[in-house]
Amino acid sequence: MLTGLLLVVLAAGLAVFVHRRALAGYPPAPAGLAILHRGEAAFVQSVAEVLFPGGGAMPLSGAEAQLAHSIDRHLAALPRAQRVQIRLLFFAIEHATLLMPGNEPGGRRRYSSLSAAARVSLLERLSNHRRGLFRLLFTALRSVFVLGYLGHPGNLHGLGLAPFEIEPAVSDAELLFPRVGALPSSIPHTPDDRTDPASRGPLDPHGPRHRAYARAGQPGRAGS
Amino acid sequence: MSALTAEQVEGARDRVRVFAQYDHAFEEKADVVVVGSGPCGSVAAYELAAAGHDVILLEEGPPFTTRDLELDGNLSMTRTMREGGLRMTRGTTMPTMQAIALGGGSLVNSAICVRPPDAVFERWATRYDLDRTDRANLDPHFDAVAEFLGIAPTPDEVQGKRNLLFRDACASMGVSSEPIERNVRHCRGSGECFTGCRSRAKQSMDVSYVPAALAQGARVLTSVQVQEIRRSGRRVTGVSGQVVAPFSHGRPSGRSHAFRIEAKAVVLAAGCTATPVLLQHSDDLANASGQVGRNLQFHPGVAMAGVFPETIDPQFGATQGYQSLAFLDEGFKLETLWAPPPLLAIRFPGIGADLQARLAELPQIAIWDAIASANRSLGRVRKRFRSLDPILEWRLHPDDAQILRRAMHVIAQLFFAAGARKILPGVGGIPDSLGSAEEAAILDSPAVKPSGLVIGGNHVFCTTRMHGDPTRGVVDEDGRCHDLENLYIADTGIFPQCPSVNPMFTGMALARRQAEVLSSRL
Repeated sequence: MLTGLLLVVLAAGLAVFVHRRALAGYPPAPAGLAILHRGEAAFVQSVAEVLFPGGGAMPLSGAEAQLAHSIDRHLAALPRAQRVQIRLLFFAIEHATLLMPGNEPGGRRRYSSLSAAARVSLLERLSNHRRGLFRLLFTALRSVFVLGYLGHPGNLHGLGLAPFEIEPAVSDAELLFPRVGALPSSIPHTPDDRTDPASRGPLDPHGPRHRAYARAGQPGRAGS
Repeated sequence: MSALTAEQVEGARDRVRVFAQYDHAFEEKADVVVVGSGPCGSVAAYELAAAGHDVILLEEGPPFTTRDLELDGNLSMTRTMREGGLRMTRGTTMPTMQAIALGGGSLVNSAICVRPPDAVFERWATRYDLDRTDRANLDPHFDAVAEFLGIAPTPDEVQGKRNLLFRDACASMGVSSEPIERNVRHCRGSGECFTGCRSRAKQSMDVSYVPAALAQGARVLTSVQVQEIRRSGRRVTGVSGQVVAPFSHGRPSGRSHAFRIEAKAVVLAAGCTATPVLLQHSDDLANASGQVGRNLQFHPGVAMAGVFPETIDPQFGATQGYQSLAFLDEGFKLETLWAPPPLLAIRFPGIGADLQARLAELPQIAIWDAIASANRSLGRVRKRFRSLDPILEWRLHPDDAQILRRAMHVIAQLFFAAGARKILPGVGGIPDSLGSAEEAAILDSPAVKPSGLVIGGNHVFCTTRMHGDPTRGVVDEDGRCHDLENLYIADTGIFPQCPSVNPMFTGMALARRQAEVLSSRL
């Protein structure tokens, strides 16, 4: 009887521990996310803060680049299998420190609850791990974040690497095919609209960049 | 190729079907059904239609207009590539991509057109019992495709600094190089071939051969997935499948109406990784030789970043404008490369401010790459359980890894000859950054393990290889399956070996020849 009671108490304690350390206490997710739940959004934010801190050589910090939104858009566009793989990657790293805490005090917490120094430490441990699988996990994580971070129009514009401003041409394809998902009756062009490719000439390497990127590069528009 | 007249446009529009138009199951008949609208399928469809045959060209992806092209490289890949652009090989892990769009890979490739050297065809003839697959036989087809697409060397005014630096580096080291010949007219140097050309300078199939095929009377059905090749005895009778929604990536909810097409002949041009899966899914069709899906080869590639002392405006210039064929005998080809910057930067090393400092150097960075003739690195394609996506198993042979190491060392030497202040080799197990040609010698040493190489492979070959001996190959020299009288394959799967250079042009020339033969047999 006493043993049974003890087991129940231990199980309850473990459940409370797991609940508090692994599942509870996440801040509300930013508005407008389609895929990421609040825990994943917090994880993304916590990684972004240490991978791309403020005050560095780039126009935007990871926090300013609102990576939860860009990663969410990427996940939404991916096939289910690939989306699951990336979410499993997030889950694994978010909870890895519960099982493999670092040397820092209070290290047995989920990744997004750790101090910035402890978060950097875990990423460094992964990137230099003797086992290839752990290095691969780190490389995959960093890839997902670099795609979102550098892809932010504010960063690309700030580096002078935004796409050029180009008026989309009208070719035979635009005369024959509607936009994706539309009916042929929606094709707006006639053969008179066809672009003369010879008249346009090479771009100016320092010429205007795509207006959406230029807007995002203006002060105060980081979240665009 | 000249632009369509107003009358041709009017008639051709009626022969196109897109996803929004399908509202019930349907059946069609044709002389020939071509499965896949990539470079090989589009050429075959046009040539057969121009010869007066009733042709239906099928494509699983949608057509993309210039307004549909996504500038964000990451999102572009999820829309234009199978498996969202995240397909990987097993064995030696390597990313590899296959497009899903009208025009296939030509929509999002860099339009490189290279004729393989004579030695490649001599090797094919000797080892694979081929009599007519040589330059003399294929040159008329290369010429016809070149004229149709306006294939020409990339002009200097759109090379941009990062391509011209490569030219100058080769000159200073006494290495031959040349501007890359591409199927591009009036290039503007936007450097966005990989996300689709908004200027429509690139003559991808959706702006060239497909409209021309439509003008010749072909029908083009998009957003249809062929799931089975139908057979009766030694003949195929057509294909069947389902309509699929754009960007549905194989989701069951994305599939809708069934369709069936009867034809006197079927041309499979679904791509080197999809065609064998389709054959396997069709009761292991055309596989008496046991070679369907086997012999998988790639051109594994390595890329390296060179950091120059000042900005080189890398966003401007032809995506891939210069190449060197000087090392083909050693087993590799050198090229310049650009892509959406986030895709280039995913391998940059570091964490935090260190990583950001590397990213901030991008305006000073050129990327040069090498592709290897990896004839010894083999694999296979298998059908995935309850899916038409392939499983790709492939292993990099140590000798081919050695070729890649040597290629990386040559690229590094070229970078320093061009004035780079450092290179980022992106290789595991050695320093992240090398600052001189002497330091770069480590690249061609045992310090670089095959497992440390970061490789990619987007040229895929040999999974339905051509062989004169029916017991050792899937198709004959005309692309016809040995086992069946009227089933043809027209994609890079029929190459008996990797061609050592970019394969699109060779595939199109072979497809044109096959179409001539098939036309004479109909």
